Amino acid sequence: MVCIRKATTDDLLAMQTCNHLCLPENFHMKYYLYHILSWPQLLYVAEDNNGHIVGYVLAKVEEESNVCHGHITSLAVLRTHRKLGLATKLMNAAQNAMVQVFGAEYVSLHVRKSNRAAFNLYAETLGYKIHDVKAKYYADGEDAYDMRKKLKGKQIHHHNDHGRHGHGHAHAIGGGCCSSAEAKVSGKKETKAT
Amino acid sequence: MYKLVGEERFLLWAVCSIQLQVFCGNGGEKLLLLAEGLLKKHVASHSLHEPEALIVYISVLEQQAKYGDALEILSGKLGSLFVIEVDRLRIQGRLLARAGDYSDAANIFQKILELSPDDWECFLHYLGCLLEDDTNWCNGVPNDPILPSKHMDCKLSHLKEELFDSRMSDASEFVQKLQAGTSDNTLRCPYLANLEVERRKHLYGKGDDDKLMDALMQYFFRFGHLACFTSDVEVFLEVLTPDKKTEFLEKLKKGSESLSTVPTKVLGQSITILKVQEVVGKMYKLSKSELEGSAVQMVELYCRNLPLSKDLDPQESMHGEELLSMACNVLVQLFWRTRHLGYFIEAIMILEFGLTIRRYVWQYKVLLLHLYSLMGALSSAYECYKSLDAKNILMETVSHHILPQMLVSPLWVDLNNLLKDYLKFMDDHFRESADLTFLAYRHRNYSKVIEFVQFKQQLQHSNQYLVARVEAPILHLKQNADNIEEEERVLESLKCGIQFIELSNEIGSKSLTFNEDLQSRPWWTPTSEKNYLLGPFEGISFFPRENMTTEREANVRRVIERKSLLPRMIYLSIRSASALLKENIEVNGSLSDPKTSSELKFLLERYAKLLGFSLSDSIEVVLGVSSGIKPSSTIDSDLIDWLNFAVFLNAWNLSSHELAQPNLDGYKAGSWHIVDSLLEKYISEKVRSMDPLICSPWVDLPILVQLVSEPLAWHGLVLQSCLRSSLPSGKRKKKGGPDSTSPPFHAIRESIQSSCGTIEDVMKWLREQINRPEDENLETTLSFLQGKGQNEGPGQVFKIVETFASSINDTELGDWISQAVKCWSPVDVARKIVTGKCTVLSEFLQMCGSKMKLLQALKQQIAQV
Repeated sequence: MVCIRKATTDDLLAMQTCNHLCLPENFHMKYYLYHILSWPQLLYVAEDNNGHIVGYVLAKVEEESNVCHGHITSLAVLRTHRKLGLATKLMNAAQNAMVQVFGAEYVSLHVRKSNRAAFNLYAETLGYKIHDVKAKYYADGEDAYDMRKKLKGKQIHHHNDHGRHGHGHAHAIGGGCCSSAEAKVSGKKETKAT
Repeated sequence: MYKLVGEERFLLWAVCSIQLQVFCGNGGEKLLLLAEGLLKKHVASHSLHEPEALIVYISVLEQQAKYGDALEILSGKLGSLFVIEVDRLRIQGRLLARAGDYSDAANIFQKILELSPDDWECFLHYLGCLLEDDTNWCNGVPNDPILPSKHMDCKLSHLKEELFDSRMSDASEFVQKLQAGTSDNTLRCPYLANLEVERRKHLYGKGDDDKLMDALMQYFFRFGHLACFTSDVEVFLEVLTPDKKTEFLEKLKKGSESLSTVPTKVLGQSITILKVQEVVGKMYKLSKSELEGSAVQMVELYCRNLPLSKDLDPQESMHGEELLSMACNVLVQLFWRTRHLGYFIEAIMILEFGLTIRRYVWQYKVLLLHLYSLMGALSSAYECYKSLDAKNILMETVSHHILPQMLVSPLWVDLNNLLKDYLKFMDDHFRESADLTFLAYRHRNYSKVIEFVQFKQQLQHSNQYLVARVEAPILHLKQNADNIEEEERVLESLKCGIQFIELSNEIGSKSLTFNEDLQSRPWWTPTSEKNYLLGPFEGISFFPRENMTTEREANVRRVIERKSLLPRMIYLSIRSASALLKENIEVNGSLSDPKTSSELKFLLERYAKLLGFSLSDSIEVVLGVSSGIKPSSTIDSDLIDWLNFAVFLNAWNLSSHELAQPNLDGYKAGSWHIVDSLLEKYISEKVRSMDPLICSPWVDLPILVQLVSEPLAWHGLVLQSCLRSSLPSGKRKKKGGPDSTSPPFHAIRESIQSSCGTIEDVMKWLREQINRPEDENLETTLSFLQGKGQNEGPGQVFKIVETFASSINDTELGDWISQAVKCWSPVDVARKIVTGKCTVLSEFLQMCGSKMKLLQALKQQIAQV
């Protein structure tokens, strides 16, 4: 009933409202635009039956490294739409597109050490492993886990994962800051957009 | 460049430019044909290599309704450029449906649903195709912020009954298959699909209420504990009659008894039932005491279930959080019915209680922002707004909560920051747009280039942006009106108001966009123009929500058109007024600047027209009202504009003398008298009729603030200009000063005196309000919550919270919740209301003080002439 579909530029306003309602880190609009204009294949939204955007995933491809890999920049689901597996579906859609469209070998993300709900989603439901700890990654001084997941090679399949990856849904994020892969809005990242 | 190097990207750049030109209405089919031709030629020689290129190719064909050609390309070799199967199928389905091949399209959508059974949009397409309904495929659906989606729209099916039945039975069968095929108990689509099938039958006239209610109950058993349940089923409930809705509500209540034993689920279901009660309109029928009971029930439920959240992180949303927002809605409704301010205060109390426990609840903050505004505690409302941390584009989508109140408030510093930050963000974005467009090209995301350009236009046409562009300079003019030299510097920086005249000329033909997130507005304030709280209780339409986009667009246009005339009219008024005494000196009686006079007259005509009158009729109106021949209420609806008109009319008359009529004393006091008596009438009368502010909502104060900060301020400029021109200086000094006993001087002296008296009235009232002892104010505020020993009236809900807070069980609630509850202080909340009001009053008093200082100085000046 919620439709997971690719985001359009039109969705940016609603995505940013969603970001604001869910996460402590809010990005400048340039950063969203930088993503959607560079890797539109990796932005998905969850749209409810009344047309409201209730969740989104914002991802990109790291261009500056030798190994092509994806990075989840931000993921959010409105509180009213938690416990429906939407975060899992959004993540799977983005990860699948990373492999299919860009041939990414792995995907990375950062998550606040204190965000248990999000950490559980990544570690238990989606199979991410801790790769490193980034000290004082967030503006408020909190550390981040640098998590990674190896992606399966390119194969033709559709982006819904119903019954495929075997991780049901329901679980995921308890109530809180569901999302979590909030990248720091650094000057460096922003300058790319200009 | 394409000709030089033959690269795909250069060709697509050209094609996108053509498409944009067509979208912007600057060309038609021929250009698209050219784009198609270029692409065809390129494909023949080089083929295509990027999925984005294929998307552009298909969209060029689609724009020309060449669906068959597009389908052919999609199913050919090029189709394999789409690596994600579902993406390809979606386009295929859309093209087939647009081509009118509903049967094949339905098959494609069915295929997508088999792969992705939770795709609601796809299900609607599937059903639409089965019923041969093209609603989903019509272009040009207007973007409506209140009813953002037309997804559920459909036409009444034209199919014959037998065919309709058979198609619906196909749909039901498919939905059953989808339900059976999934073990995933979070998938809502197949179950909602069932409801949609029943709804369509209803719309066709073959509905079965019992079947629909059964389907709704099934949905409740699965998803009734979720926060999204009510919004999910709202549209399906709409087809039921009021009686059936009540029956359904009863069924829910019964059904929930036997459902779950998991406490969070039980709580979720209880909340759902309360929400459904609101959605089906039952709240309107409840008596006052039943409503109070309902609010009490909600808050009790919230308090009772607090222990469920004791192990959550403080930033996580708590179980039952929405109960306090719902109780607030009920209390607001009680205010409507009774006009008892205590309900507002009670609503503020419980929301602040909720925020004490968890300070991140956005919804509470938004509700509080509106409640504080309505109470007149605007500075507290602004603090709430700031705590929302609305930055960047959120200033476009969220600032509607506070901006309209701030525009008519005396909190000029805060308003200036609000406008400055917003305009800076928007202007920066427009400046950076070219770079961003190039970014999309560089990544070869051609379709995004078109989307981005359209997005930029959407922001450029934002109604709020245009309003802010006009209001920011007007604010500067208000801020500097007590010093004519400063004011002239501001006017100079605004090119003497000429660019705003251009805006006023253009605005009628501009389409406006509304990007505000109205979803976050409390339902009792659905738009910034219409506040149901201030309207009559009867006849209020919430279900279905009114679609007011057209009305809003016309309103905003009118406001911008009128307001953008102001800077120029102020400029011309200053010039025109300076002619009065100059002319007196020059004796010859000729106008010093006929151009100023004629331009001001032209603008007065326009201003009058915007008020719905000709210039001569408008003059009649202000004359009639000022002399008491016409009732004061004649100009009530556009009061500020009418008084501005009178001020500018007087300024114009000072150089044109077209209105001059010798009165009994033989001097030309006509237009001065109009302004003086209108300002006195409306300002002093308002002050006299106002209740003590502590006991009243914020209705009259904004009008008073506007009267002082606009017409009175502009009139002050006219006075300053007149007197400045009379100052003996330079050559003139040698010739000797003007005759201070002349009629114009007399009129100016009278006018200064009159304005002083008017301002003094306001200041006296403000001082009385501000100087009330704080303890007394706090006591008055809290006394609204103390019933007279009966169990009715405001205070019932507050009592629940108070009792709860005084008897908490630390172990049960956990550390952080009990600590937070212990910090709760109703007196602090009352103080927030009182301080919020007093800050506004102090700022207003300061504004009046500055005006008074100016008038005193003018008085002295004229005495010395």
